[in-house]
Amino acid sequence: MIRKMYDWVDERLNVTPMWRDIADHEVPEHVNPAHHFSAFVYCFGGLTFFITVIQILSGMFLTMYYVPDIVNAYKSVEYLQNEVAFGVIVRGMHHWGASLVIVMMFLHTLRVFFQGAYKHPRELNWVVGMLIFFMMLGLGFTGYLLPWDNKAYFATKVGIGMAGQVPLIGGFITKLLQGGDIVGAETLARFFAVHVFFLPGALFGLLGAHFIMIRRQGISGPL
Amino acid sequence: MAKHDKDIEYVGDSQVPAKRVPNVAPSYDEYPGKTELFWPNFLLKEWMVAAVVLFAFLMLTVMHPAPLEQVADPTNAGYIPLPDWYFLFLYQLLKYKWASGTWVMFGIIIIPAISFGALFFAPWLDRGPGRRPSQRPVAVGTMLLALVAIVYLSWAAMAEHEATLAASGGGAPVASNKPPADFKAGEAYTKQVGCAGCHGANMEGGLGPALWDEGTRMDKQQILDMINNGGVTMPKGGMFQGTEEEKQALAEYLASLKGNK
Amino acid sequence: MSKDQGVSRRQFLNYCLTGVGGFLAAGMLAPMIKFAVDPALKKGKAGGNMVPVVDEAVLTGEPSNHGFKYKITDAWLGEQETELTAWIYKEGGQVIALSPICKHLGCTVGWKNDPQKQNRFFCPCHNGLYEKNGKNVPGTPPMNPLDTYQVEVKNGKVYLGLVEPNKIVGGA
Repeated sequence: MIRKMYDWVDERLNVTPMWRDIADHEVPEHVNPAHHFSAFVYCFGGLTFFITVIQILSGMFLTMYYVPDIVNAYKSVEYLQNEVAFGVIVRGMHHWGASLVIVMMFLHTLRVFFQGAYKHPRELNWVVGMLIFFMMLGLGFTGYLLPWDNKAYFATKVGIGMAGQVPLIGGFITKLLQGGDIVGAETLARFFAVHVFFLPGALFGLLGAHFIMIRRQGISGPL
Repeated sequence: MAKHDKDIEYVGDSQVPAKRVPNVAPSYDEYPGKTELFWPNFLLKEWMVAAVVLFAFLMLTVMHPAPLEQVADPTNAGYIPLPDWYFLFLYQLLKYKWASGTWVMFGIIIIPAISFGALFFAPWLDRGPGRRPSQRPVAVGTMLLALVAIVYLSWAAMAEHEATLAASGGGAPVASNKPPADFKAGEAYTKQVGCAGCHGANMEGGLGPALWDEGTRMDKQQILDMINNGGVTMPKGGMFQGTEEEKQALAEYLASLKGNK
Repeated sequence: MSKDQGVSRRQFLNYCLTGVGGFLAAGMLAPMIKFAVDPALKKGKAGGNMVPVVDEAVLTGEPSNHGFKYKITDAWLGEQETELTAWIYKEGGQVIALSPICKHLGCTVGWKNDPQKQNRFFCPCHNGLYEKNGKNVPGTPPMNPLDTYQVEVKNGKVYLGLVEPNKIVGGA
């Protein structure tokens, strides 16, 4: 039955070559933890992606209850955390995942750095990886404000204050980030938009490029 | 795509080749060595690691609910903010004299631009053919230095934050406020899993203030208010687990602690 | 290693992979799906509060329209007042309150407002007709009788509660 459905789709879309392309490639010995235990350092990249998937899913579900409006944002977070079943878990996943993804990405970056894996011909993938790093930091910064509690509000004020110290264009950056003269309704709305649409969109594109390049170039050889 | 080859047959008028590729994984049996297939051999290992991580992660979310403080109050002048931990090093950097004030150019532009720029363009700065750390001492040394600096700055920021909190009476532990040696926290307290995380297993304090002599500062009603509504750093309500009677009993017990030194 | 063993070993690994993958997906998604589905599983607040609407003495055998405010709890917004109306009349000492929401597509019905001025409820949107007790007239668009409100009469005041399916018609 499943076989037949697969054949039906395959006849029309020729998916087998794509599928075989994903599944069939050899993983070299030096990244196989069964042979060298130290190969566990290679799992940080995969774990970063795994946590990113958790972040995307939990974030999608959180927006079912969250409203980006300074009057109701806090109330809606409080409601989803305390009144909705498993709200503590889903928000907890997003909250702790945000830190964990940074940790994993940091370890992954250090692995690549200390192994010199960014050298020719993998320079471009390093640059894309760095861009992903900045996207993640941006996601962390914009997401921090969304619960609209004291911690969120004052930390964002500090963050925007830091950006505002940039000479010459500091005032412009501040206004751009705040969407006005104070950290308020407009700030929350634009942080939400950036956190939920702009940065994840960019992240998807960069992740796709990252993976395609890994597949093309293969894993860097043993030291 | 190249022009339609006359030798290839297509499905209908589409560009899908009519000839099916058999969906069979190639056998690598004849390959010597210790390489293995990505699917399913290697992926299985990776997903098993992911399963362990997921389990630990879910335990973490169950045991430590995401904190939610009181609603943002722009007029709250006493609040001492702290950015998320991975921005702490930058936050701390801008506190130093040589990176703020008239030197702000240095702290906000030059140092971050150099460090992030160097990281970004690492492949072009570190161009030698060797990949071993020992073959590129400059790159590795700089990175190690940067790591030490980041760890130190983050730690310094945390330490300073806690010192300011303690100075403002905002709940950091006061060193002299240790319970007497024979003090033992009552069952109403130890039964609560949520309290010990901040106030210590034996009420000696931690992130939150020590409670072993709480009765000298608050009465039962104030304690109940604190449990229900939270405080400067104390989370609201959700930490307490149990019936209303148990909550009353806990508040009564805390109020009865007069710190018999 | 013979070819047969190789295949079965690969198949075994594939099953393991599916199992572990299933665990990962379930571990991630189970809490989230429960989280999303929760509102649909929550029981509605039983009973609901009764709201005073009109003096019983005012009512006659002829349906009259009365507006009232009803409070419902709306998630984090807390109690919200909604404006509702009801067609209320007395029959055989019993007070009957019909919801004015047409069972066809949710327009508002009126009493005796059809062109022929029949003793019927009429929905101007698609010419739906209901008898006085709310029974839908066969041959017009609505498929069900008009809903009724929970009614309670205390100290000469009529109290209305939640909307419930019409029981006075008895199997439409």
